[in-house]
Amino acid sequence: MQLAVNIVVLASIYALICCGYVLIYRVSRVLSLAHGELMMLGAYGLYATASLFGGHPVLAVAAAGTLAFCVGIVVYAALMWRMTGESVLAAVLATIALGILLRGAMILVFGTQTQYPLRDLGWSNASLAVGSARISAVGLALVLATALTYGALFAFLRGTRWGIRMRAAGQNPLLAAQRGIGLHGVYALAWGLATFTGGMAGMLIACDAGLEGTLVVIGLKAFPAALVGGLDSLAGALVGSLVVSAAEVLLIHYVDPLLSDVVPFVVLLAMLAVRPWGLFGTREELDRV
Amino acid sequence: MILLKLEKLEVAYQRVITAVQGVSLEVPKGSIVALLGTNGAGKTTTLRAISGFIGLDDARVTEGAILYRGERIENRPPHRVTALGIVLVPERSKVFENLTVEENLDAAGPRRGANVNKDLVYQYFPVLLALRRREAGYLSGGERQMLAIGSALMCAPELLLVDELSLGLAPLVVAELSRSLRAIRDRLGTTLLLVEQNAQVALDIADYGYVMENGRIVLDGTPERLRAHQDVREFYLGGGDQRRSYREVKQYRRSRRWYG
Amino acid sequence: MSGYFRVRYSEDFALLDTRVQKAWFAVFSIALLSYPFFANALWLDLANQVLLASIGAVALMLLTGYAGQISLGHAGLLAAGAFTTGILFKEFGASMWLTLPASAAVGAALGLIFGLPSLRLRGLYLAVSTLALHFIVTFAGGEYESRRGFSTGIVIESPLTDARHWYFVLLAAAAATLLFGLNLLRSRTGRAWRAIHGREAVAEALGINVHRAKLSAFVISSTLTAVSGCLFAYYRGFVSAEAFSLYITIQYIAMVIIGGMGSLLGAILGTVFVVLFPYVIDAATALLGIAGRLASGIFAVNYSAFGLVMILFLVFEPQGLVGLWRRMQSWFLLWPFKQRPLSR
Repeated sequence: MQLAVNIVVLASIYALICCGYVLIYRVSRVLSLAHGELMMLGAYGLYATASLFGGHPVLAVAAAGTLAFCVGIVVYAALMWRMTGESVLAAVLATIALGILLRGAMILVFGTQTQYPLRDLGWSNASLAVGSARISAVGLALVLATALTYGALFAFLRGTRWGIRMRAAGQNPLLAAQRGIGLHGVYALAWGLATFTGGMAGMLIACDAGLEGTLVVIGLKAFPAALVGGLDSLAGALVGSLVVSAAEVLLIHYVDPLLSDVVPFVVLLAMLAVRPWGLFGTREELDRV
Repeated sequence: MILLKLEKLEVAYQRVITAVQGVSLEVPKGSIVALLGTNGAGKTTTLRAISGFIGLDDARVTEGAILYRGERIENRPPHRVTALGIVLVPERSKVFENLTVEENLDAAGPRRGANVNKDLVYQYFPVLLALRRREAGYLSGGERQMLAIGSALMCAPELLLVDELSLGLAPLVVAELSRSLRAIRDRLGTTLLLVEQNAQVALDIADYGYVMENGRIVLDGTPERLRAHQDVREFYLGGGDQRRSYREVKQYRRSRRWYG
Repeated sequence: MSGYFRVRYSEDFALLDTRVQKAWFAVFSIALLSYPFFANALWLDLANQVLLASIGAVALMLLTGYAGQISLGHAGLLAAGAFTTGILFKEFGASMWLTLPASAAVGAALGLIFGLPSLRLRGLYLAVSTLALHFIVTFAGGEYESRRGFSTGIVIESPLTDARHWYFVLLAAAAATLLFGLNLLRSRTGRAWRAIHGREAVAEALGINVHRAKLSAFVISSTLTAVSGCLFAYYRGFVSAEAFSLYITIQYIAMVIIGGMGSLLGAILGTVFVVLFPYVIDAATALLGIAGRLASGIFAVNYSAFGLVMILFLVFEPQGLVGLWRRMQSWFLLWPFKQRPLSR
């Protein structure tokens, strides 16, 4: 039972991170390997606003969320718009370089100490009981946040005009431009939403376990989950996260705890060997460099 | 008034291959103008130059001017051209395959200040109403073309550029589409510029026609004049009155008497 | 440009054509050979690092720049070479004469494994598969370390200790690699690689065995990389899994990109740039007087400066240093005429 709870919590973490990967890839066909660093930036944002808005934790959280969204738009406006139309490799390398830049900047500004934003917010991470298992309050918040996020995203993408335009731009950018859809606006929105959800994931993880360098590693581990589900499918991201987290938790429990960092990548390799476009992804023309 | 005017337009690919050499034409407001020609004549390039989607293949307007309502619009970024009210129905990949018909229509963004309702599109193409929840990828060729024109209408265009309306479609379907286009022009006042290989279809609905060959306009006139012209009859409309054996029909023996 | 015409096949194949080129090559060789006698300890070490890294960079350039197969697993292959050396040394006391070929063999075998995904995948998905393999390899190395109790790393006795001796050994190795690369590119294999990079379907239609070409690219590149890893282990005298992080891979990719894809000269230029970069940053911070304040964060400064420079090159100078070099060359050669490229 505890295992099941652990799987669900880990899956929620991965899923929340994955929707960032999927959003950006689906809309602009760019794989953002800076997502881990952007997550950490979001968490540091919370740390900053928590100390800034000392007595108002809700305000701090809201401010941090808005900040994360704006950072995403800035990243697009400053760098990624120049990479539209360039080769796949160039865009991915640009995100990698951006990640490196952000990582260095964060160390310079915030130092390497582990931070505990939850304390600064004035909340405590109680341990709750679910049947015979235990779950932390933040863990529960994670699961709820993921569920809410996915629900909202599905509704947005299927129901609203802007959501439909985002999907359209992702499928056929040229036609979208010919139909009056502003591509730059759509891409910026995707980046903003992705950074917002990623930042939220970072904040929650930081509240649960503390804010330190390993946050970026979690971001990178979530990436196989996105691929296993299919890089352009949100439903796939959910399923992929469950698969990867189940594999990870079970193998850690029954085989070797040190395997945790490598299991997602083994699952990824297996998936690439069998079905490269993932469980729910569209079978696209696998691009040339 | 003249809505669109091309003055001695020259378009070159990669600055060395001139695809359009000195094309001049006029599209009066509220009319349907046809641009005829075979493959490789430069018709699609001309449309691309007008709609602004020209940089993709590393092409540029090197000489001449494109005037829309008297304003020069050549080499402008595409979204600015669309914002002016010039909408293109492309030859290929004309719909969003994974979106439903209804979503296809919703996705289009009208130009500022214009208000278009889906019901208008369903009026002209009732078939789409019945199919509105179907994914566009599963539509037949004719339905797809209807959806393409419909989604272009959702952008509230003043000038609608249609590239190869009839390509790959059955004659009955093409006839119906032509009727719809004429109805759109009559009731909405939309100006149409049709690029067509099928001269028969084009001359049936057009008010005026231009014939393009090797990047130049070689003949223009009203449909009656074009239909009567011997060269058009022979090379575009299927050979005129007499039956000929293939042995006698040799392109290089018969030189064309273009003028105009 | 200069009216020099090649009239024999042997002239076509020659690496150095004109007398001027040969003269410059002689001057350059003399400079290289006499360098260790003029350089101080720091500059000698830098040169050694550049030479060592250039082997890996040339290997990566052959794979990614010429054959067009993206690989994000470079550090994993370096680790494989280094760990083979370390394991053989620690378990069997093996000498360099054994570990070097063993590393090469391990590199070749791993190259085959790394290359298998390329038969089905392209572009992004291939890059991702190599990334996954990298993590698995470094994990295996880390596992060996912790299971055998070398949690801080494996210490290796190097047969060479004098930096000058290392210089000549590494110079020979780098020159051999470069020559090997140049010859390979002029051969059938090299032409096959360029073909599959251009358009696979057409290459296949022309009778090139695409699978064999891709695998050969991976195997050759990985062998060279693993050998470089082995030399690296001896040069540092120390092997640990943390030293082969994703950042190392990124640095090698930066060497290839900053240098300029599709050119071995680019690989060399890129290597020089990336290896010297941290030292330039150090000197710059010392010059600006902020070195003291940033002492603890100097690594972070390096890190972010590196990211920034990579972004700048990707955005503004996609053809890399080689592109810059060629533009400079053509400016001088064509002056007072200007060369305007066909595409804007």
